[in-house]
Amino acid sequence: MRGDGRHPQAGVVRGTNPYLPLPARIHKVVEENALVKSFVLELEDPLAAQAFTYQPGQFVMVSVPHCGEAPISFASPPHQANGFTLTVRKAGRLTGAMHGLRPGDTVGIRGPYGRPFPMHALQGRDLLFVAGGIGLAPLRSVILSVLAHRADYGRIIVLYGCRTPGDICFRADLAVWQEIEGVEVGCTVDKGDAGWQGKVGLVTSLLDTVVFAPERTTALVCGPEIMIKVVLERLEGMGVAPADLLTTLERHMKCGIGLCGHCHCSDKLVCADGPVFSLAELGGIASGCL
Amino acid sequence: MHEQFVLKKDHLLPLLRRLAREHRLVAPVRNGYGDTMYTVVTDVDACRLDLERQPQNSLKPFFFPQRERLCSYTVDRQGEEGMAYRFYPDLPEERATVYFGVRSCDMFGVMYCDLVFLQGEHRDIFYQRRREKALFLTLACNRPFTDCFCHNTRTGPALELGFDLQLHDLGDRFYVETGKPGGVSLTAHWSPFFAPAGDDDRQAQFQNVLEARSLFQRQVHVDLAVRLLARHEPEEVFGRLSRRCQDCGGCAFICPTCTCFNIVDQPLDQGRGERLRTWDACTFAGFTRMAGDHNPVDLAAARIKKRFLHKLKHDVAKHGRPSCVGCGRCVGMCFGGVDMASFVALLCEWDGGKEGWR
Repeated sequence: MRGDGRHPQAGVVRGTNPYLPLPARIHKVVEENALVKSFVLELEDPLAAQAFTYQPGQFVMVSVPHCGEAPISFASPPHQANGFTLTVRKAGRLTGAMHGLRPGDTVGIRGPYGRPFPMHALQGRDLLFVAGGIGLAPLRSVILSVLAHRADYGRIIVLYGCRTPGDICFRADLAVWQEIEGVEVGCTVDKGDAGWQGKVGLVTSLLDTVVFAPERTTALVCGPEIMIKVVLERLEGMGVAPADLLTTLERHMKCGIGLCGHCHCSDKLVCADGPVFSLAELGGIASGCL
Repeated sequence: MHEQFVLKKDHLLPLLRRLAREHRLVAPVRNGYGDTMYTVVTDVDACRLDLERQPQNSLKPFFFPQRERLCSYTVDRQGEEGMAYRFYPDLPEERATVYFGVRSCDMFGVMYCDLVFLQGEHRDIFYQRRREKALFLTLACNRPFTDCFCHNTRTGPALELGFDLQLHDLGDRFYVETGKPGGVSLTAHWSPFFAPAGDDDRQAQFQNVLEARSLFQRQVHVDLAVRLLARHEPEEVFGRLSRRCQDCGGCAFICPTCTCFNIVDQPLDQGRGERLRTWDACTFAGFTRMAGDHNPVDLAAARIKKRFLHKLKHDVAKHGRPSCVGCGRCVGMCFGGVDMASFVALLCEWDGGKEGWR
């Protein structure tokens, strides 16, 4: 195939073929825990790398050799120098193969796609982040963006729940965040172990321990679907308006650009209309999407 | 400016022969097994054109093939720096194609696919390249086929828009209307074939369409179903149909407006492979399954619900009309009776007797 005279990404079709991935090289691999790794990537083509911008809440379609593609959210903030970070839990064939990759290896990238978190609308608000497990990854992109412009936002509360202490991601970030003035960090696990000295209980139990003003607060929730549902329900009950309850949904996707139909849910396409939605947009807890 | 002409039936084959010289020609052809299919015609005189029966396929596969290559890739693990992974584009060639003898419902099917593949934020370049140089010479139906209900979906038996030329069979001649600019140029370019239509031709065409409308054997109350689904989503109806669904995907594959697809990598050897796009169906159990086996739509009843709500509710909200063109192909395809006509009938029956309904 290399010898048949065709050139990779020939100029005629670049930019017009939405299905053609660009090679991106892995610069760094960080082991978050036994099942989760963060990959710092940069597009190989320097011009493409320079032009590549994204917003918190967006995702890319990642290709791994012979495994197809999967949607992965950005875990880094847009201002991160030297590429972008994707945090991946080993859950299936593609993510399993990706965990076997090392710095210097290449993956394919299409995107960024999807509707991001409304960063402008968050300015001046108190922000309550509620994350479960790997669900902290897309919220980390928001949190680091917010912390880079700290004065534009009100109080920041980060509530993080994991199944066990071994499932916690971004330990270094959590340690940094709780030292920042005006930032409150709560962490809990469903089931502790011998070394665990923190709280034990579901992430919802942390909601009882924090005080916030519902009318000034926008909540950003991400985690397993059942957790999202329960947390949104609780927060709505506590008086946060459905328009201020934001979440980002995960669905099986093939194209990422609103065509393949896999992420269709009620009257929405998660890839193109989301993945970020407010509870108001989803039509409430009882809607078909949660 | 819409014009009307008459094309003598004796002149049809000579016209098609000429068109086939400059274009790829696709027309309904009866094959050796006795099946009528829209087929690429390489020799007009060697095939059996069939304008009497409904083609079993729609035009969908010509613009959106059941299986196509999106790109190929190479994987080189020998490099100094690490594994190198490259992608090579592979776009279909643009070929001017005349689609002849297209039924009204199938023309609407193409117009719906245009909405999906060409009207969104991201255009599907594969579809676009096949679609760009297409001319549609449609054929109004004088007599609906057994399973047809295009009068209920307002997609036939004759068209008011969408075609380049629309033909009406008047016995010894075709009444020809021009529509889009491609049809106007075609009649101008081949003007010896097209005589101006007279009042008697117009009268005969009008009678034909009126008569065709009165000949439908099925009433499928699609509008009523749309109104009912806006208020209720009766689980009993979805449950009953889902017990008869064999998860074969036939309804989605045969449907002119079903556009869901899968993308898979097909390794050729360790170092190279192809990325393929294939038709998919929302009734397949794995359609929404994610890594880790979490499936947000994991019951057969939920999948059937998704299918019919998509066609009769969500597409109405998004595009202003249901995405069923009344071709009746799913009725003939599904041996479990999980088709549009059965669904609408069950829904109306449910609405008629909610309490005693079983």
